[in-house]
Amino acid sequence: MVDAEASRAHLAGTLVLPSFFYAAIGGAVAVQIATSAVSITDDRVWAPVRLAGVALFVLVAAVQLVRFRQLNGVRLGGLASRVVLGSATPAFISYALGLGASAWAALNRMWWLAAVCAVAGGAAYALSGRRWWGRYRGDPASHSRGESAGWIAILGAVAVAGLVLLVLWRR
Amino acid sequence: MTGLDPGIQAPARLKLMTMLTAVSEAEFSTLRDSLDVSDSVLSKHVAALVTVAYVKSRKGVHLGHRTTWISLTTKGRKALSAHVAVLRELIAGVE
Repeated sequence: MVDAEASRAHLAGTLVLPSFFYAAIGGAVAVQIATSAVSITDDRVWAPVRLAGVALFVLVAAVQLVRFRQLNGVRLGGLASRVVLGSATPAFISYALGLGASAWAALNRMWWLAAVCAVAGGAAYALSGRRWWGRYRGDPASHSRGESAGWIAILGAVAVAGLVLLVLWRR
Repeated sequence: MTGLDPGIQAPARLKLMTMLTAVSEAEFSTLRDSLDVSDSVLSKHVAALVTVAYVKSRKGVHLGHRTTWISLTTKGRKALSAHVAVLRELIAGVE
């Protein structure tokens, strides 16, 4: 049993993240927050800008997860949902606060502050992922699985509802 | 106290299933290298565990090569937990 647990710890310990993983995820989230904030303030660029931000995030997330699988020969649900999709509570809060602050700044035409809030949101999101990675290394069995589809759907619905509220509040 | 699970009693199977708790899915050669066994030995253990529905295997591609991806089932996870609990009780009884 000790040997089996050592093998599991060794497997988890040998897993590596793709280079620039946190920078890529944090950057994509920052761009997504910024484009969402801008799209709320200007109807003319609403659809294309917001879609571009979402598309960039989806592309970066997919590339990072494929690179992780290629590098390690494993798929890790916890990494996909908690780190990349941000279902971990700190990541979710970072995103929500970053988006809220960035949208508020954009609505008040303080573009520099909107950009700073978006970058801060992305950085906090990436740091949350780094924290999860450390916890996974310490206890791989408890953290390997991702969130259930139901929880992901709830988080998605909350995010959409938040955006809708921001748009309604503006009008 | 329920007994030890005969499907997991072989050390290599216990090791294989324990390793699978650390990931959602692992590629065949990754497991083979981690367990330090041959392809045929790993295939035999995987086939035995698939038979009792403790693991799932599917065909896929890794680095351009056709390969097999293996994952733990919910039934397998529960069986492993029960098996490890019995082992711990046995060890505690000895100590």
